[in-house]
Amino acid sequence: MGNAELVAMMLADGRLPTGGHTQSGGLEPAVRAGLGADGKQLADVAAYARDRLRTTTRVEAAVAVLTRHIATSSHLSGTKLSPGDENVPKNGPRLSERAATLGPVEAAWAARTPSHVVRGVSRRQGRLLLRLARRVWPDVSAYLPNDGEIARPVVLGVVGAVTGLSAEQVARTIAYDDAQTVISASLKLLPVDPADAATWLAGLHDDIEWLVKDVAPLTRIDEIPADGAPLIDVFAHNHAIERMRLFHA
Amino acid sequence: MPETRSFRLGVAGPVGTGKSSLIATVCRELAGELRLGVITNDIYTDEDARLLRSAGVLDPERIRAVETGACPHTAIRDDVTPNLIAVEDLERDFAPLDVVLVESGGDNLTATFSPALVDAQIFVLDVAGGGDVARKGGPGIARADLLIVNKTDLAPYVGVDVEQMVKDAEHARDGKPVIALSRTDPASVALLTEWVRSMAHAVRAGDHTPVDPGPMAPHSHVGEDGELITHTHAHTH
Ligand SMILES: Nc1nc2c(ncn2[C@@H]2O[C@H](COP(=O)(O)OP(=O)(O)OP(=O)(O)O)[C@@H](O)[C@H]2O)c(=O)[nH]1
Ligand SMILES: [Mg+2]
Repeated sequence: MGNAELVAMMLADGRLPTGGHTQSGGLEPAVRAGLGADGKQLADVAAYARDRLRTTTRVEAAVAVLTRHIATSSHLSGTKLSPGDENVPKNGPRLSERAATLGPVEAAWAARTPSHVVRGVSRRQGRLLLRLARRVWPDVSAYLPNDGEIARPVVLGVVGAVTGLSAEQVARTIAYDDAQTVISASLKLLPVDPADAATWLAGLHDDIEWLVKDVAPLTRIDEIPADGAPLIDVFAHNHAIERMRLFHA
Repeated sequence: MPETRSFRLGVAGPVGTGKSSLIATVCRELAGELRLGVITNDIYTDEDARLLRSAGVLDPERIRAVETGACPHTAIRDDVTPNLIAVEDLERDFAPLDVVLVESGGDNLTATFSPALVDAQIFVLDVAGGGDVARKGGPGIARADLLIVNKTDLAPYVGVDVEQMVKDAEHARDGKPVIALSRTDPASVALLTEWVRSMAHAVRAGDHTPVDPGPMAPHSHVGEDGELITHTHAHTH
């Protein structure tokens, strides 16, 4: 188990090879729909990132927090798996039983993520994170299969559980990552000065911490908020059939 | 090698040098004898995939596009995960495949594939980019498994001496193969397809170890004519 603070930094670092460079957090279709007014209203980018922190990202962060809570409190994370025998722990429940404890939280996430396109994107990104995590933090294999399309916040919550991240660190990682995804994609999509982009991100710190404060204490699945942003879903659906795109989503 | 694991062949090189055309040629020539799949990494996602699908040389479903977020270099080198998953899914959906060709988005001379993504790679230059390019070197030119000097049919129009360009390339490559290619020259196309065929065979037999062209630092030395030459290549001297 590494130093939790450093693990959180790794997870928040866009250079972690988990396909982050393919994502714009929905900014690309939003720009196509007029956000930023062709470069004349660049502050729209920060407002868009903030809107996500108050809606969809809040749900994602809460799901990650709940996943971490369930995985941690099932008192299984200390069970060491023997090499080459990864799916059958010497003691404690089998992988399928452990994975089953996470089923309800994935289902709660799916119920709060009405767009199948958005669900598909999150599960694809979850798969990318899972593939890396099983190499870097092999203990995730106690909860998750080696490969599979699993909502990204669920995968991240499991990584948090096995590396000793706090609920706050897990929530902050999700929130920061989402905001940074949007802000850094703006550099490719709009005539943005990179120093302005960093300033926008710093300006979102209070929003990120409010989110953290709200979702970190959650311990029951039915407490997961159900905030949505229907326009973001509509943009995502437009993007899925768009031919000329830079970003996957 | 598991039954479903194909020979993964990367195709890189600067914009417009003929990567998609080369893949189309390989598909046209070899689709009868090898089971093929293609992954493209275009800047605007769908372009290369569409071009290849419309070429009609392969079942369109076996050609898939992966978004790179305008980072073609990252997609084949620093973070290959999205491409790797695309390759594996293609291998799974059309199992067993013999060869999966991965086209890099057109980038610059420094972009080469990570050995975590491909077993071997082709680097494509063209005569229209100028006769000097091969001499400039770079990891792809110096150390890709195969270097293509493409569009030799255009050489007379752009004032390039193909023979010299190939000689420069061979010098920079320390004996690794160079093929002067034109899609209008069947003999050169045969050399290309024979290389793919034998490499597929070597990989399948376990006789090939992926080589990382790597981001080698360029270095300088004084050539025979006293001229300062700066380039990158594999051998020591
Ligand atoms: N004359 C000639 N033209 C060629 C040859 N091969 C390709 N071309 C042309 O070169 C142009 C670029 O070819 P592509 O295959 O699209 O090149 P690419 O490297 O895939 O391009 P990007 O993916 O945009 O980087 C097209 O107009 C091709 O028709 C050749 O052997 N001879
Ligand atoms: Mg191309």
